[in-house]
Amino acid sequence: MLNKKLIEKVITKALSTGADFAEVFIEDKFATNLNMISSKVEKVNNSRIFGVGVRVALGYNSVYGYTNDVSEKDLMKLASDLSMSFNESNKTEFNGLNELEIGDLHKVKILPHEVSMENKVNIMKRADKSARAYSKEVTQVSIYYLDYVQNVWIANSEGKYVQDQRVRTRSGINAIASKGNEKQSGFYGPGGSYGFEFYSEIINIEEAANEAARIAVTMLHAEECPSGEMPVVIDNGFGGVIFHEACGHSLEASSVAKGASVFCGKKGTLIANPLVNAIDDGTIANAWGSSTFDDEGNRQSKRELIKNGVLTSYMIDKLNAIRMNDEHTNSGRRESYKFSPTSRMSNTFIDNGESTFDEIIAATKYGLYAKKMGGGSVNPATGDFNFAVGEGYIIRDGKIAEPVRGATLVGTGKDALLKIDMIANNLKTEQGMCGSSSGSIPADVGQPTIRVSSMTVGGRKGAN
Amino acid sequence: MNFDKLFSLAKEKGIEDLQIHYVKDNELEIEVFGKEVNKYSIASPSSLRVKGIYDGKMGTVSTEKIDDTMHDFIVDSIIDSAKFIENNDEVFIYEGDDNYSLVEGLYNSKIEDIENTKKINDTLELEKMVLAQDERVKMVQAFYGETKRDVVIKNSKGLDLKKTVNNAVFGAYVIASDGDDQRTGLEYIQSNDYKDFNFEKMAKESAEKACGLLGAGPCDSGEYEILLENDASASLIAAYLSIFSAESVQKDVSLLKGKLNTKIANDIITLVDDPFMKKSVKSGSFDDEGVSTKYKEVVSKGVLTTYLHNLKTAKKDGIASTGNGYGNGIAPSNLYIKPGKHKKEEVIAGINKGLLITSLAGLHSGANAISGDFSLQATGYLIEAGKITSPVALITVAGNYLDLMNNVVGVCDDIKYNFNYIGSPSIHIKSLSVSGK
Repeated sequence: MLNKKLIEKVITKALSTGADFAEVFIEDKFATNLNMISSKVEKVNNSRIFGVGVRVALGYNSVYGYTNDVSEKDLMKLASDLSMSFNESNKTEFNGLNELEIGDLHKVKILPHEVSMENKVNIMKRADKSARAYSKEVTQVSIYYLDYVQNVWIANSEGKYVQDQRVRTRSGINAIASKGNEKQSGFYGPGGSYGFEFYSEIINIEEAANEAARIAVTMLHAEECPSGEMPVVIDNGFGGVIFHEACGHSLEASSVAKGASVFCGKKGTLIANPLVNAIDDGTIANAWGSSTFDDEGNRQSKRELIKNGVLTSYMIDKLNAIRMNDEHTNSGRRESYKFSPTSRMSNTFIDNGESTFDEIIAATKYGLYAKKMGGGSVNPATGDFNFAVGEGYIIRDGKIAEPVRGATLVGTGKDALLKIDMIANNLKTEQGMCGSSSGSIPADVGQPTIRVSSMTVGGRKGAN
Repeated sequence: MNFDKLFSLAKEKGIEDLQIHYVKDNELEIEVFGKEVNKYSIASPSSLRVKGIYDGKMGTVSTEKIDDTMHDFIVDSIIDSAKFIENNDEVFIYEGDDNYSLVEGLYNSKIEDIENTKKINDTLELEKMVLAQDERVKMVQAFYGETKRDVVIKNSKGLDLKKTVNNAVFGAYVIASDGDDQRTGLEYIQSNDYKDFNFEKMAKESAEKACGLLGAGPCDSGEYEILLENDASASLIAAYLSIFSAESVQKDVSLLKGKLNTKIANDIITLVDDPFMKKSVKSGSFDDEGVSTKYKEVVSKGVLTTYLHNLKTAKKDGIASTGNGYGNGIAPSNLYIKPGKHKKEEVIAGINKGLLITSLAGLHSGANAISGDFSLQATGYLIEAGKITSPVALITVAGNYLDLMNNVVGVCDDIKYNFNYIGSPSIHIKSLSVSGK
């Protein structure tokens, strides 16, 4: 940790040539990453991430630098190098930092470093045993375990001085089922802003492992998915990844402020079926994407993005707020001191509707039921997206029929939002890592079961 | 950090052999948008990875806090790590090779002598040039990035290796719009010689990429003859990298298991791993384990001749390491499909009904490295009677990677490398299943 006086000196130096904002972000993070494959512990690695990022801005134009050499000499040189990008006669006054404010939400019970390596390794062993016992067809299981404690201090020329501790825990199970030359995989990876109590109070690791095994085995016996345009029912939980990728990113100021988003200038207009309410909430207790403060030192908050189909709020960071002439929404996030913060999602989901899961399936004559979504990507400028379906079934005459594999969903965010025609009441969130210009950060995705009236489904079986 | 003290503390606590891998980077990033510098970043990060053999197991640790207060953390973490590893494979700290190839052209100090203001002005100029290409170009993000990397590897067996590499990239990301449709394009050049940056070429090609796709929509579903453009083919190789790793093969998660010395691709496919390529940050005379690197044809005229090995996997297979021990695992250096003689235009002229695929998306989820199956979002152009007719988007192409490699009927001469130095020329494929409207 740096002392307050030094941080103040760095900020003063950074402002010395006419910048009107300077910020110091200090990070000290301990992480444990474990890995198991073929029932053997393969990797046990501790790491320490440590460094300082300095941001200096005039209006919305900013420069950024970082180092992990934190001697006074090196930090002052960094501040001085960055200040050289500015040359203004007007100087901004800096009156020193406030009292340190310490983040106190999302308390954990058992800090990772209070737990022996043996107990952490045992989580993987339990998962491995359980997944393999699920079926003889499960032939390989790989598991990762991770936990970290990220301590950050954020100080800026407005006097803000906060400290936040983010503790996160997650395990991921990848099961492979095989029969002859055929192999299919299933993945499940629960996590949260918890310590080791996650495994005794929140999840059951055996059940998580069985879920991964169940998907792999189901897909092993699935046929290739047919392709073409059809209604798609996307199940609750990780199905929300489509909203996250195809709409969420286009509602981030990093895309909106530059006019690069399909949702530019659409605030107050209908962008989705009126059934749709969407929320980004960084305050949910101990959720994967929550924190007390965002990475610009503002208290995280809840943002109502879409209300009854109408776009009500973007997600905006401090500098893009200036560019957009709007208020920031406490949405500045970053992976580490190596990244300048920008507007990012936290825990983002479509809210509950009034239908039930059974009603949605019964109302669908023919279509695809995407029970588990895999990953995907989106081009934020065009909104074009693609997602792999991890576990899919054909719906025939209002009933879930045979499982299908290899399906991909393709579309554009703005069309898909308008085509959501049924929403169930079973909201669930799941965990993901979200990658963007300020790095890879934990984010929850979620939704109730929804139906999109028509979507392009790609599959290897060809058109029906 | 006093490394000698670290080595002696490790020995004291029972670590048989220890190796450090220290990397110090100096980075500059410039991004221009709307005639303004949108991003200017300077950084000097360093990192230290340490591994050590304790009780026959290899323990690892990494840290970015690099000072003498970290000695205990490093040594204790290695011991804690080694204690719980159950993999019984033999592990090595390498004493080094007798000879290391001299690799020239990896570091060019001249690029650092150029003033940052010139680099900023050139980035601004690049934006201007792209905007001037076509009135449908609505937005441009021009960028410049520069990295200098110093690497030091030292171990208790006397190995002491150093290298310095540098690299820079100029590029432009373009958004074009015709009022109804919006499309994007990206073009870049990587080199450590400032003279290689052809701004006119980048401006022209990035604008064409975005504008050409305006109005794109799905084509009819069906089987199409395919010309997979260089960028797109390289991205597909990148998605299937792990299948060439001996580690994946030994763990039975590679579809190339049991296929050594058999034909896995058409005769016209040769896949090269070249650690001696000039101007690439991935090049060097030694890998992260200190093993001297080698030029090799991983796939030679369609035949899989070797997997990529590090010391551990090589020992298991009873052969020598191929010098691909990077990170704590296995990776290629510069991996590329050897270019052929065909011209892209000629191939297009010979296709009656086909698709030119210019980019693939969804590679991290839609390409299964275990089964080889893929189903990917594609963008490109319809080819009818030897001519490019209309842009295509929102389609998926599906197939199996090995089937695809066997169905390559032509290799073009236009090799291009991605940011990770995975390269490919455009390749002509007999057919793929396309799902559109």
